[in-house]
Amino acid sequence: MAPHLGQDEFFKSLGELLSKTSQQVQGSVYLTQKPLIDVPGATTANSQPSILIRATDGNTNTPNLKKEGKDKVAKKSQKIKLSTIVKPDEIEAFYVRYAEVCKAGMTGLKKRDRRGRKAKTKGGAAKVTKA
Amino acid sequence: MPYLPTSQAYLEQSAQLLQAYPDTVSTPPAPPIPTSHAIFHTASPTAGNNETANPDSKSNTRIVTKYNFPTNRRGNLKQAHKSQVRKDAAKPTDAPSTTPAPPSAATATLTLKTFNPTTGICLHYRTNKAQEVGRLITSLGKLAAGADVAGLGLSAAVPAAGADVEMTDAPAPAPAEEVAAPVAGKAQGQGQGQSAKGKKKGGKGKR
Repeated sequence: MAPHLGQDEFFKSLGELLSKTSQQVQGSVYLTQKPLIDVPGATTANSQPSILIRATDGNTNTPNLKKEGKDKVAKKSQKIKLSTIVKPDEIEAFYVRYAEVCKAGMTGLKKRDRRGRKAKTKGGAAKVTKA
Repeated sequence: MPYLPTSQAYLEQSAQLLQAYPDTVSTPPAPPIPTSHAIFHTASPTAGNNETANPDSKSNTRIVTKYNFPTNRRGNLKQAHKSQVRKDAAKPTDAPSTTPAPPSAATATLTLKTFNPTTGICLHYRTNKAQEVGRLITSLGKLAAGADVAGLGLSAAVPAAGADVEMTDAPAPAPAEEVAAPVAGKAQGQGQGQSAKGKKKGGKGKR
């Protein structure tokens, strides 16, 4: 397994992964978070464990047995695996950036329908000019 | 496990789950083989021993956020088509003519899953709204930091969420009203500014 990345590197790669997926309009990104317990060398006296964050594209490296015989399937790209560890005191700052990266990258989701709001602001503007 | 209807329900239940089964940091069951030779080991091999023991005792709840686009396998497309047909059938005749555009742009979905391996409890939430991403991720951060239900600060956001839901239902009548009111005001305002102002104020109060 690849070593854990630093946060900057992780965010950069995650942003690329998300935007790539969004551009292709296909594929998945899996983001996993879980408390990291009993890290070798870490003090377990901490009340809060560090958080392990993983991101993958869900590709599998294991060959597909059904398709192997046919031999016409192009070799799949390697699985993308990113991971980083967030210390308990960094969680807040990390998640602020994490949310930003996700918001920027997940462009395939439905945008908010702003038609209603626009009408509202128009009405408000008209009122302001009148008054 | 079923999908929860609202993000708030999902986050609250996740928080409860995390509270009910806190991750046992330093209280795993005693190392499985406390045999005589274990005593002679130095610090590092025992740490290794701990590591090997942990996958069994590790009961940490994990939260998976999946961002994916619908696949275009044949089965999936068929399924999507079927459900679309069903939807159209449910709607009265005007529906097919007004909705030819959506299929062109595939919208991604964001699926959140909280899973506790020891109990097998699994909570799901699915959305396709971009506006929810920021809030969801920051809430996940709070969960990661060990916030309880109150710590999520969601109870205050309940009315807002409710309003959002209502908005999707009735976007058409609201703008119509708002557009109509200023227009009417303008038409009258040219003649008598005072009365128009009064009318507008009345409208504001109603809302």
